[in-house]
Amino acid sequence: MPAPTRTVDLLVVGAGPSGLYAAYYAGFRGMSVAVLDGLPQAGGQITALYPEKLIFDVAGFPAVKGRDLVDSLIEQAAPFSPTYLLGEQAVGYEERGDDVLITCASGATVAAKAAVVTGGIGSFHPRPLPGGEQFQGKGLEYIVPTYVPYAGKRVVVVGGGDSAVDWALGLEGVAASVTLVHRRDEFRAHAHSVKLLKDSSIDVVTPVSPVSVNGSQTVESLTVRDVKTKEQRALPCDALVAALGFTADINHLEGWGLATYDRHIVVDTTMATNLPRVFAAGDIAEYPGKVRLISVGFGEAATAVNHAATVIDPAATVFPGHSTEGFPA
Amino acid sequence: MTFVISSTCVDIKDMSCIEECPVDCIYEGDRKLYIQPKECIDCGACEPVCPVDAIYPDRTMPDDGPEELEDNRAFFYETLPGREEPLGALGGAAAFGPIAADTPRITDLPLNPEAASA
Repeated sequence: MPAPTRTVDLLVVGAGPSGLYAAYYAGFRGMSVAVLDGLPQAGGQITALYPEKLIFDVAGFPAVKGRDLVDSLIEQAAPFSPTYLLGEQAVGYEERGDDVLITCASGATVAAKAAVVTGGIGSFHPRPLPGGEQFQGKGLEYIVPTYVPYAGKRVVVVGGGDSAVDWALGLEGVAASVTLVHRRDEFRAHAHSVKLLKDSSIDVVTPVSPVSVNGSQTVESLTVRDVKTKEQRALPCDALVAALGFTADINHLEGWGLATYDRHIVVDTTMATNLPRVFAAGDIAEYPGKVRLISVGFGEAATAVNHAATVIDPAATVFPGHSTEGFPA
Repeated sequence: MTFVISSTCVDIKDMSCIEECPVDCIYEGDRKLYIQPKECIDCGACEPVCPVDAIYPDRTMPDDGPEELEDNRAFFYETLPGREEPLGALGGAAAFGPIAADTPRITDLPLNPEAASA
């Protein structure tokens, strides 16, 4: 059996506010810690959904901007040098002696003495294009990390938000042609981007909804239906980009064998789950009387990590000592 | 805590909100869209994209808000016409698909003049 890619005392699954605070707490308790997240950056929902919003209910901060809170949490954990494993999804769990072995979708593995799952609403996936199942990777893509592969191709982009408009604009001049299709005549993207779109050579087709993706092996066309006239037409293309937003779920965590209730992980008063050495904290944790707030998640993260400390080292005490006494050696 | 779609949505069903919802908790009825209150995580991503301003949080509702909130609840937790039992928590709108029904209150509304002119 291959050796695990990484070995740590505590693995934190989810780099949102609760997970980052758990990383701090693990360091404070003298544990080596890794923080894993499916998104390419830390901060979870705060970074993904409301980085610029002011948050008013974090203890000690009369008001704090989302991204500033995330930056402060990263800074708070930094003295303990947590390892960040970003863009990784934790899909598998197994017990191995006194360790848990977590397998990532990439094939990487992390051996840890305990894990704290701070997965929030779960991991984000692109919303699938109806009828596109068999074409993913065969001309249909959901994200556009680079425009290079589209050189000289006829590209159809589906969607009306910032991603769709930005990608269409970026592909103009690289691709042979760019067509942008959307259900409505108006686009939700930033006003500046929409103005660039109007001034561009991009063929904007609205208001239409996708009906089917066609092709023998790879994508050859997208059939769309006019929302008003119901008329259908096929848009020939070599590449199709669907930017229909993202949804989150905890399906991959359910695959670990975690007990769940309404898309949340059931925990006891120590934040322990049904699996040995696995704890949960923050929005994803469920128990009677649960209140889903960042401030509650912080407390749960501390509870989870301090109890994990006693699982990792039975001689350790749950109570960590006071942080005012200074960093542990 | 949940966001609510009011009857301003009736006969419009723009569906931009559905693309924004990160937990896929906005379900398509026959004449309007409905937010599943137990699945909503209160993130607010849907609110600004509605072209007819039909969406608001349950904390800052207009005068008819409580009625609209109750109607969104009823869509999922009362038995809809033509169905055997309440829908409940369905676990994702895309997988479940459109629901060819509305609450009786919505069904009885006259045609939305905004939709007729669109």
